[in-house]
Amino acid sequence: MKNFNLITLIVLVISFSSCSNDDDNTPTPLAIETNTITNLFAPQQGGIDPNTGQPLPVSGAFTKFDFNLGDETTSETDWDIAFRGSTIIVNGGVSFGATDEPDRSGEGGAYVAAGTLSDIETANPSLISQDSTEGYAIVTGSGNGWYTYNPANNTIAPTPGKILVFKTRDGRYAKVEILSYYKDAPTEITPEIAINDSRYYSFNYVYQPNEGELSFN
Amino acid sequence: MFIKNLILILITLFYINNTRAQDSLLTQELNEVIITATRTLRQLSSLPMPAQIISSKDIKSSNSLRLNDILNEQTGLITVPDFGGGEGIQVQGLDSQYTLILIDGVPLIGRSAGTLDITRIAVGNIKQIEIVKGASSSLYGSEALGGVINIITERPKNGFKGDVNYRIGSFNTTDFNNNINFKKNKLSIQTFFNHYRSNGYDLNTTDALNTVEPFSNYTLNSKFTYDFNEATHLLVAGKYFSQNQEYVASSSLAGESDVNEWNTHLKLRHRYSDKWSSYFEFYATRYKAKDFLNNLDGNRFSTSFFNQLLVRPETRATFTLNDNNSFIGGIGFNHETLNRTDFTESPEFNSPYVYLQYDGHITPKLNLIVGARLDSHNKYQSQFSPKVAARYELSDYLAIKGSVGYGFKAPDFRQLYFDFTNATVGYTVLGYNAVVTAIPKLNEQGQIANIIVPISEFNNELNPENSISINFGVDLNLPSGLKFSVNLFRNNIDDLIDTRVIANKTNGQNIFSYYNVNKVYTQGLEFNTSWKITQNLKISGGYQLLYAFDKNAIKAFENGEVYARLNSSSPSFRLKKEDYFGLYNRSRHMSNLKMFYSFEPLKMDTSLRGTYRSKYGLIDTNGNTFLDTYDNFVDGFVVIDFAINKTFLDNYQLGFGIDNLFDFKDSQNISNIAGRIIYGKLNIQF
Repeated sequence: MKNFNLITLIVLVISFSSCSNDDDNTPTPLAIETNTITNLFAPQQGGIDPNTGQPLPVSGAFTKFDFNLGDETTSETDWDIAFRGSTIIVNGGVSFGATDEPDRSGEGGAYVAAGTLSDIETANPSLISQDSTEGYAIVTGSGNGWYTYNPANNTIAPTPGKILVFKTRDGRYAKVEILSYYKDAPTEITPEIAINDSRYYSFNYVYQPNEGELSFN
Repeated sequence: MFIKNLILILITLFYINNTRAQDSLLTQELNEVIITATRTLRQLSSLPMPAQIISSKDIKSSNSLRLNDILNEQTGLITVPDFGGGEGIQVQGLDSQYTLILIDGVPLIGRSAGTLDITRIAVGNIKQIEIVKGASSSLYGSEALGGVINIITERPKNGFKGDVNYRIGSFNTTDFNNNINFKKNKLSIQTFFNHYRSNGYDLNTTDALNTVEPFSNYTLNSKFTYDFNEATHLLVAGKYFSQNQEYVASSSLAGESDVNEWNTHLKLRHRYSDKWSSYFEFYATRYKAKDFLNNLDGNRFSTSFFNQLLVRPETRATFTLNDNNSFIGGIGFNHETLNRTDFTESPEFNSPYVYLQYDGHITPKLNLIVGARLDSHNKYQSQFSPKVAARYELSDYLAIKGSVGYGFKAPDFRQLYFDFTNATVGYTVLGYNAVVTAIPKLNEQGQIANIIVPISEFNNELNPENSISINFGVDLNLPSGLKFSVNLFRNNIDDLIDTRVIANKTNGQNIFSYYNVNKVYTQGLEFNTSWKITQNLKISGGYQLLYAFDKNAIKAFENGEVYARLNSSSPSFRLKKEDYFGLYNRSRHMSNLKMFYSFEPLKMDTSLRGTYRSKYGLIDTNGNTFLDTYDNFVDGFVVIDFAINKTFLDNYQLGFGIDNLFDFKDSQNISNIAGRIIYGKLNIQF
C-alpha cells in the first residue's frame, strides 16, 4: 500500500527559452522532483556462495542511475549513483579498488542521515563524503549503511530511518529512501523471494535540480 | 488463554462439588521454615523479604525430574533455553546470570556463557526449594542480584529407610532414583543416586541437528553427619555429576560433549551456649566441560574445554542476645580458577569477604533486618552490599513488608579473558583485559583494518554489574486457609556489561569486546494466592506483571531517534515512546494456577498445573535494534500438566502423568518445550 508508483512530474512554469526579457537575469528555479523507482536491477557475480556460505570475489557491471534523467543510464560519465548487489557507489572520489567499478568523473558524494524522508529538509554539504580507497561514502555491511542483513532468513532489509543524501556529479542534491531490495517490492519476503528475487531496488527520492540549492522543500 | 480458562473453570467446579461432599475440616498451615533469606532458620510467614518454598510434597506430586520442571511452574520464574538444551532461570525479569543457585547453602558453578544450566539438578532428594527474590548480595556476594534459589536436600531420618523410583516417558526418557537413609544415634549416612537419559527431541526436522541431542547423566550425592555431642555437629557431603551428550554441529560435523562436576562440603557446627554458636564450612567444587567435533572422515575438527574450580572456606557465628535480637556474621575466602580454550591466560580470582546481619523485633509487631557484606577482589574494585528489610504486623492476619538491597555480579572470566575467533565466519571476541595484548598482536599480523575504540579506553577496570532492588509487599493470611500476598518490585541495574565492536578486521568481520554500558530496570508486581480448602485440596495461583526496560532505549524513543517500517516495502516512520516494548525475552504477563488434591480413601493424589506466558520478543526483526510493538513476537502460550499417583500396600506407588497436555510447541522460537510428554512412574519405599 505504500508503493507510491505515481510519478510526480513537475511542470516547468516558465522555460528558459521563453525568457525573452534580457533584464531578467535571475532564472526562475526549477521545481523539485519527487519520484519513485521500482525494480532497478543491480545484479552481481560472486558474493556469498549459497552452498558453502563462503564469500567469493564480487564482479559485474554496476547499474548506474541519473537523477536528472530520473532513470537508469548506461552513460559512462552522466551518472550520479550506481548499484551492484547491496553496494551503492557515487560518481565522486576515487575507486575503492573493487572489480568492475565505473570511472568517476563527477563531484558526487553522499552521507546517511537519520529520519523519515520528509524529515530531511535540507542537505548538509559538510557531511558529504566521497568514495575512497578506504571505503565507500555509503558504508557497506549490515547495519552500517542503508541495510540490515538478517542471517536467520537470509534477507536484506532497508534499515528504518536511514535516508541517503547524495550530491550529484554536477553539484545538485537528492535524498533517497530505499524501500525494498526485492523484485516488485513485496510486503513480505518469503524464502523463495529471498533466494530468487533479490537485488531489485525500489526507492523514493526527492531531487533538487537547482545547482547548489540545499533545500528539499 | 481461553482454553486455559475453560479447563480451569471445569476443574474448579469438579473439585468444589467434590469437596462439598466431604467434611471440610480446616486445618492450620504448617509453619514452614526457611534458611536462605537470613542464613538462620526463620518462619517463612514472618519474613520481611519476598520468599517462597516449594515442598518435596509438591515436587513429588508434580512428578518433576529436574529443577527446571518445578521452577517453571512458580510465579514470576521462567526458564530460558540456552544452546544445546540447557536452561537458565529468569527472576523478576533479570537474566539467569543474575540469580545465584545454591545447594544446601553453597553455590553451583559452571556458567560457561553466563547461564547456569539448571537441568543439571535432579530433584529426587530434595526436601524443599527456597526462593528469595530481590538482591541478596548482603549475605551471598556476587551473582545474587535477582535473587537466590537454594536447594535443600533431605535431612536424615531415624532408622534404615530408602526408596527406589523409576519413571519412563516420551522421547525414550528414563529416570532412575535411589535414596538410602541410615541414622542411628549420633551417626547418619545418606546416599542418592540418579540416572537420567533421553533420546532428546527434534522440533525442526529439516536440518541435520536435533533440538536436544540424546544424552545420559548420573548424579551421586552422599551425606554423612555425626553428632559428637549435643552441641557439636559435623556434616560431610559430596556430590558427583557426569553427563555425556551427542554433539552435532552440521551434517558433516559430529562429536560428543561431556560435563563432569563434583563438589565437597564440610560443615562443623558448635553451640557454645544459648547465645553463641559457630559454624566452620569448607566447600570445594569443580566443573569440567569438554567437547569435540569430528569431520565425516573421522578427523578431529575442533575441541574445546572449560575447567573451573571454586574453593571456599568460611566461618560464621550467630549471637542471640535475647528472644528479640540476634546477629549473624561471617568471614570467608573465595578462590576461583579457570582453564578454558580461547583464553589469553589461566586466570585466578581471589576474594576475601566479611558480612554481618542483625535480625530483631524492635516491637512485637515490627521485625527489622539490617545487613551488609564487603567483598574484596584481586581483579576488580571492592563491593559493599548493604540491605535493610522490615515487616510490620498490622493485625493477626495482615502484614506489610519492605526491603531495599544492593546486589552485584562480578565480571566473569569470559568477560575479562576471552580471546576467541570464530573459525568459519572470522569474527573475534576479546575479553576486556585481553584487549590490551590481543589488539597489538592482531595489528602486527595485519588483521586489523581500523580501530574504533582506542586501547587506552581499556586501562580502567571493568566494573561489576550492580543493582539496587526494592521490594514492597502485603501479606494477608486468613484463618480460613486463604492466603494472599502482593509484592511490588523494582530493580535498577547499572553498568550492565554488553558487547560492542571495537575494531574492524581486514576480512570484513568485526572485533567485539565487553564494556559497561547499559542501565536497565525491571519493575512489576507479583501476586500469589493459595487456598487450602480442605486438608486434601490446595489451590494456588500466581501472576506477575513485568516491565523491563533499557534506559538508553527509552531515551532514544523519547528523542524520536527510532524508526520502523510497516512491512517489507513501506517507508520509515518515527516510533513513539509507547512503542518501545522493552527487553528481549520478557513477557509482560505470566501466571499459573495449580491444584493439588489427595483423595484419601483411594490413597490417590493428583495435580493439575497450568502456566501462562504472554507474548515476548526474541530479536529485533525490523532493523532498528530495539524491540518495539512493530516487531515480530513469540505468541503467548499455555502449558498444562497433569499427574496422578496412587499408593498400594503402603509402600508402593504408581504414577501416571501428562506434561503439556495439549502438545503445545513452537519449533521456530521455543526450543525447550518438547511437546506432550506422557510418562509412568513406579516408586517403592523400604
